[in-house]
Amino acid sequence: MSRIWFLDVPENWTIIDVASQAPATRLTRVGPYVSVESDGPLVVDRRSAGVRHAIWYSCVAGLSDSRITQWDKDTLRIEAR
Amino acid sequence: MSDLTGQHLVRGVDHAAFPTFDPAATVAFYRDVLGLPVVHSICAAGWGPEDHPDFIHFFFDIGNGDRIAFFYYFGLQPSQRLDRGDSFAQFGSDVPEYFVRSRHLALHVDSQEHLMEYRRRLDASNWPVEMQIQHETIESIYTHDPNGYFFEITRALRPVTPQEDLDANLTIDALVDIVSSPGHTLEDLLTRKAELIVERAAGWQEEQERAGAAPSEVRA
Amino acid sequence: MRRVRVGLVVPSSNVTVEHEMPQLLRRHPSATFSFHSSRMRMAKVSPEQLAAMNAQRERCVIELGDSDPDVLLYACLVALMSAGPGEHDRIESLVAEQLAAGGSRTLVRSSAGALVEGLRALGARRIALVTPYLEPLARTVVAYLEHEGFEVPAWRALEVEDNRAVSRIPGEQVMAAARTLPLNDVDALVISACVQMPSLDLVEPAEAEFGLPVLSAATAGAFSVLRAVGLPPSLPHAGRLLRPGTEAPAA
Repeated sequence: MSRIWFLDVPENWTIIDVASQAPATRLTRVGPYVSVESDGPLVVDRRSAGVRHAIWYSCVAGLSDSRITQWDKDTLRIEAR
Repeated sequence: MSDLTGQHLVRGVDHAAFPTFDPAATVAFYRDVLGLPVVHSICAAGWGPEDHPDFIHFFFDIGNGDRIAFFYYFGLQPSQRLDRGDSFAQFGSDVPEYFVRSRHLALHVDSQEHLMEYRRRLDASNWPVEMQIQHETIESIYTHDPNGYFFEITRALRPVTPQEDLDANLTIDALVDIVSSPGHTLEDLLTRKAELIVERAAGWQEEQERAGAAPSEVRA
Repeated sequence: MRRVRVGLVVPSSNVTVEHEMPQLLRRHPSATFSFHSSRMRMAKVSPEQLAAMNAQRERCVIELGDSDPDVLLYACLVALMSAGPGEHDRIESLVAEQLAAGGSRTLVRSSAGALVEGLRALGARRIALVTPYLEPLARTVVAYLEHEGFEVPAWRALEVEDNRAVSRIPGEQVMAAARTLPLNDVDALVISACVQMPSLDLVEPAEAEFGLPVLSAATAGAFSVLRAVGLPPSLPHAGRLLRPGTEAPAA
């Protein structure tokens, strides 16, 4: 299972939306953070989220038992460790 | 005498000092182009143990009583120039550009309007704005001063929130935890940070609510 | 025997500081002193000349810094006081900053500051003054000392404007002026609130005659220099301020 954390602030909302709209994902709140958990890999498309590069490249707050296998200007991909 | 333990007592930047080989251009940039007043100067010689020329140490006001200061040493010639750098430090071609640019001073302005005014002043000078970009919460303009020092003026797009403050502290705590392991990576940091989130973030939220902080703007 | 280097910044026409300070400090039992001066040009104690003189301060400090003195005495009194309340603190800070910026460890004192220091060490609150100045300048000195927390119920202005003439004022004339002061309700007498008016030889006779502590710019200066360099501030025949056991508890 891959699990990624985001700080729940307005500029991350569209990213959190796009991530959690993928099938078989679960959203959990812990304090001011949300995590998106998926049974398989989790893929987020920057253009769907509509955020600038500066936001995109600093949006990941944490990873649980996961690794980033792709993080370029358009795609963020998380897989289970 | 009162106990000052644990109190945050410092009051900003008394001065951030840099050497210069061209005081006239430095004055032209800071005082004449940017309009930062000259607020202090010291004329002195080198009386310490090292052989040391006479010098002038001069200060510009950068707001809030903080100052940027320069040393001009009479008769001192710049040492051997390498490929890149500024009056303080020179770098060979093997040093990455991002590293050379990492050290810089950024001055704060309160509004878009003020930022654009400084943009206007720089663009009308010999030191025009080289870049203007937006980061997470800040918008900035950049140039190099006459000494080659990388220089930024910046304004906040929106105020930093308490949760961002927590986030910064979790990042730093995670960094300090992993930095002594050889070969540590950003991923190691994010993994450690997730552990700290699980450990501390819910408790932090309760603390905030107990202290009467307004519930932060969150999604349903 | 410890050797102490004293830097002196003096008004250019001053001939008294470089006479009385060595004369005084020569008496110290456990140290020898050498004096190294730099001069700021001034002939007349007028506001314009005083302002022009203070502008030379930076050059003088640089020159003296090169000689690495243990302590620098900015030997000005009215030149500082006429610039406004608290000026000696401000100038001492600037001189200290200039020396510190260059890595010097020289300590900084001023004659104006030394007078305040000496009066406080005596625990004096109400003081009388003899000054050589024109009355308006004398009033400035009084106001300065009042700002420092002293009361000045009695003072004299001998009204000698030319600084060279001040150096020749006879001791008898100073004593005569002091005798006209109501001294019954006063804690201390400043027999010379001036670095140019000679007064060292008057201090002990005046104490004997008036029965109260007497100090001068020179004796206060010596007291301050000795304390600065960590030597016992005791000198014979220099009045109560420099007698052992004088100091009042630290302010």
